[in-house]
Amino acid sequence: MAEILKISNLNYKKNNKKILTNIDLSLDSGKIIGLLGENGAGKTTLMRLIAGINSLPEGVITVDGTAKKAEIKEKISFSDHLNGFGRNTKIKDIEKFYLNVYPDFSSKKYAEISEYLDLDKEQRLSNLSTGTLGKLVIALALSRETKLYLLDEPLSGIDSMSRKKIISSIIRWKSDDSTIIISDHYVTEIASLLDDVVIIKDKTIYQVSSVEGIQEKYHLGVEEYYEQVYEGGVSNE
Amino acid sequence: MEYIDNIPIYLQIKDILYRKIISNEYELNSQLPSVRQLAVQFSANSNTVQKALKEMTDENVIIPQRGKGNFVTGDVTIVKKLKSHIVAEMFDATYEKLHSLNMNDNEIMESFNNYVKQREVNHE
Repeated sequence: MAEILKISNLNYKKNNKKILTNIDLSLDSGKIIGLLGENGAGKTTLMRLIAGINSLPEGVITVDGTAKKAEIKEKISFSDHLNGFGRNTKIKDIEKFYLNVYPDFSSKKYAEISEYLDLDKEQRLSNLSTGTLGKLVIALALSRETKLYLLDEPLSGIDSMSRKKIISSIIRWKSDDSTIIISDHYVTEIASLLDDVVIIKDKTIYQVSSVEGIQEKYHLGVEEYYEQVYEGGVSNE
Repeated sequence: MEYIDNIPIYLQIKDILYRKIISNEYELNSQLPSVRQLAVQFSANSNTVQKALKEMTDENVIIPQRGKGNFVTGDVTIVKKLKSHIVAEMFDATYEKLHSLNMNDNEIMESFNNYVKQREVNHE
């Protein structure tokens, strides 16, 4: 399998405080990868660094063979929680915005996904429930035809029916050659979705494991394993 | 889908598909749903479904046809073998439990026969 993402020797500080240290990571394409860590562990920061939103003071990030920021941006769809839009913006205007800004945005895919998720294009952001907003975020992110999707806590705070629909739309619309990184601090519900998990702890990447490996080697579920890692109960390899 | 946390999901999917084959929900020679359809049905990643199908192919229970998808074998002996294998697995756990109650094989057989008879009575 080709390598979709490679991070070498990444260090990131904010206001002189270390946020991420000595990050090295290599991920194969075609997979769905869970990025796990407690709140404040640096999951969102790492995604923003990969997507080129935060500038990188130290280290190298290569996406699909390129380290050039402008090229990387074209290869990544990063879920946007739409905070930049006015509360009165209609869903259809957000779609228009995406269509204008991202040449790889597929109206066809968006129409399919938004129909599946029951999104009403006349609705305004201010009228959306947390669940519907979460669905919209996913529909927009998945409608771009890119190599790498970064989904930042797509299920956080979302009711269980909407969670199921979101998970199922990820399965339906992920193309075979694309790679998805999903961050979460609660794993059980997405465990069946994941090939691998990347665990962030103590400001660095603690471990990259395959879900099957965890189940076969430790006879643990991903959630239990993750909890044990946080409690210091599983030895690092 | 509810999975057992600590058992690889591809094994659990394989098990469910095998049960559907031996119960004839998926008939001999019939076509299985596509990988994507199965992935959605099982709320699992396509790679995981592929892995389950690969093992089923290696075990000759399904046969991939290029460009068409996966088909259940037409060989009834393979399905029979699969059935006895799965039935044996189900008995394993029960047998171990009964054995741990210090029951010998004759007692186990006898209590099983009584159990089946009792069920028949209850169902009449």
